[in-house]
Amino acid sequence: MRPDSIAWERAAEVRAAADGWRRAGAIDAPTHEAIRNAYPDSGVTPSAVWRVLTAVMVTAVVLSTFGAVAMATSPRDVGLSLLLWLFGAACVVATELLDVSSRLARRGAAGATSFWGILLFLGGLALLLNQIPAIRGDEALRLVLLTSALTWAAGCWRWGSPLFAGLSAASLFVLLAKVPYGHVLWVVVGLALVGVAARRLDDGSLAPSHRRAATVVLLSGVAAIYVALNVYSLEQGWLEWLRPLAPQRVAPSTVVFAGAAVATAVLPLLILAWAWQSRRTVLLDAGIMLLALSLVTLRYYVHVAPLWAVLVVSGTALVALALAIERALQRVPGRERTGFTTDALFSDDRGQQVLQILPVVGTLTPAAAAPASAEKGVVPGGGASGGGGASGQF
Amino acid sequence: MNPDVVAGIARLKREGILSSEQAALFGRVARRELVSVRVEIRALLYLGVLLVTSGLGIFVVEHHADIGRWAIAASIAIASAACLAWVIRSAPPFLWGEVASPSVAFDYILLLGLLLFASDLGYIEAEFTLLGPRWVHHLLVVASVYVVAAYRWDSRIVLSLALSTLAAWRGVSVSLMARSLGTGDTGALRENAVVLGLLYVIAAVLSVRLDRKAHFEEIFGNAGLLLLFGGLVSGVMLSELDWGIWLVALLVAAAAVMWISFRVGRSAYFAEAVLASYVGLVRLLFEPARFGDRITGMPFLLAALLGVGALVLVFAAYKRMVAR
Repeated sequence: MRPDSIAWERAAEVRAAADGWRRAGAIDAPTHEAIRNAYPDSGVTPSAVWRVLTAVMVTAVVLSTFGAVAMATSPRDVGLSLLLWLFGAACVVATELLDVSSRLARRGAAGATSFWGILLFLGGLALLLNQIPAIRGDEALRLVLLTSALTWAAGCWRWGSPLFAGLSAASLFVLLAKVPYGHVLWVVVGLALVGVAARRLDDGSLAPSHRRAATVVLLSGVAAIYVALNVYSLEQGWLEWLRPLAPQRVAPSTVVFAGAAVATAVLPLLILAWAWQSRRTVLLDAGIMLLALSLVTLRYYVHVAPLWAVLVVSGTALVALALAIERALQRVPGRERTGFTTDALFSDDRGQQVLQILPVVGTLTPAAAAPASAEKGVVPGGGASGGGGASGQF
Repeated sequence: MNPDVVAGIARLKREGILSSEQAALFGRVARRELVSVRVEIRALLYLGVLLVTSGLGIFVVEHHADIGRWAIAASIAIASAACLAWVIRSAPPFLWGEVASPSVAFDYILLLGLLLFASDLGYIEAEFTLLGPRWVHHLLVVASVYVVAAYRWDSRIVLSLALSTLAAWRGVSVSLMARSLGTGDTGALRENAVVLGLLYVIAAVLSVRLDRKAHFEEIFGNAGLLLLFGGLVSGVMLSELDWGIWLVALLVAAAAVMWISFRVGRSAYFAEAVLASYVGLVRLLFEPARFGDRITGMPFLLAALLGVGALVLVFAAYKRMVAR
């Protein structure tokens, strides 16, 4: 990353923290203004809505221009690869130019051009390799995946996008699934990535966006280890599904199956223990999610009760657990226990509430009733997942 | 730990901008010595509500013949009443202004109580056919109860659910679990979406003008514009004959929304209007290509130029909006 971009990001971290302090009423307006003067914004930084809108429009411009040139020149095979590379290079140059401009650097345009720059380059490479008869299809795919992992990583390093870190990690793990001993490699490489990334999460010498990228890499590593060790994934051959030309898969032995079962149970607990000890909410969230997946896996193999009972009991247990945690944290002096609190502190509580509307509306709204339809089909209990009155079978 | 914020706090304290007490508290949070689990508790509550209502739905479908319809209806009603009783007991007094929830769990227990009520109503309607062929109107009853509850207990989540349930009553689905474009006659759905969208937008304006739960404006506004632009864009993209009329209506509506949102400083509404009008105009650009022998590069070039124009508009609007 450019030194002035890193300096801007560091100042932006302090300004964002000050916005939170002001929102919570912990500082007054003059103090807030003094902090903003001490850490000024050297450019123009619109809100997320404007940045997303800009990125979408830049995407439309890039793809439409590519479409126009492709239609006008009608390139074939290698020509199309070269055209993709030409546009990829143009996007990279545009990103570099946007990045040095204080008026344009952080408005969403550079993010979009860097993304399309890499994607168009990879598309051109894939097309080119496909044209070379000497390279077999699976070899070409591996080469593209390797290049993808390296290019996204380089893009992350240069432009500081955590999304690129995630894409790099995803490419790497798909590549590893395509070679022999994929399960072992996912665990070993996952552990290595977790080990490297965990040391960088609080590293002050890194730019803030690189620290966020380290968090994405850490979560990718944890996810890869879990998928490789999960007993259901092992039995169903999820990793082998990514390697369709592999030799016939043999069923896992009893010892391997038992080991995977233990790992499925233990890994979420280890993550939760790590989260508790380090007080990292991102690990806490990952641990809760893995625990939920492990419980679903358990339900698949051990039928302790009918599905409806499992859902009602586990749902009630989750609500009760949340209520108990909230009550336990609110009743102690200072409303905190071992460094945890239910207070919003300086985060944007209102923004988080609005964000939570999306999953609620998306999953709990009843299915639409056809207008002027007298056909009846109400399912008590709601839409596909409880929206309270929906059209299904009954 | 956020090392940049930790260093910043030390500097601000040194320069006398922050007091020692402020620096100590902010430093604890920046060093992760004090962490909020508010989001995690909300996520647990949401998952819990989702699982309970899903489990209940499966239970009723599988066992309604074994247990008896009165027993099922009564059980769900008791569970719903228990949740709502807890809400009534814990709720702060009603105000037309914004009222803070007494706890993180409050919104979700309210949500669970209302979903159970809706399930019970749906079950009773299915079993006892109270509304007969007009059975879909039970969704109107559910949505009305949600609206009243949202206003009484000041819940954005419940209001959002009320608006989407009202849309479902008119055949427009926003559920991820169901067909997202709704069911039934496309023309009727489109008209329903546009009318409902306009009604929601009017409700957003009235919320602010009358100062009655003015903070609900963004919920009404975004839901309304989503439906309005969704309906209009659908008319432009999917109509064969009268798509031009839909395009004119879309451009007029988008221009009005851009102008008003620019004046009142609502960037989300402005963005929705820009995107909707861009999609509509792209249809216009590609229309001649539908009748040609082959697609040429011209529509793409024009779409790119249109995108550049939209970017110029976005940059200029942002600059003016910030200046205001």
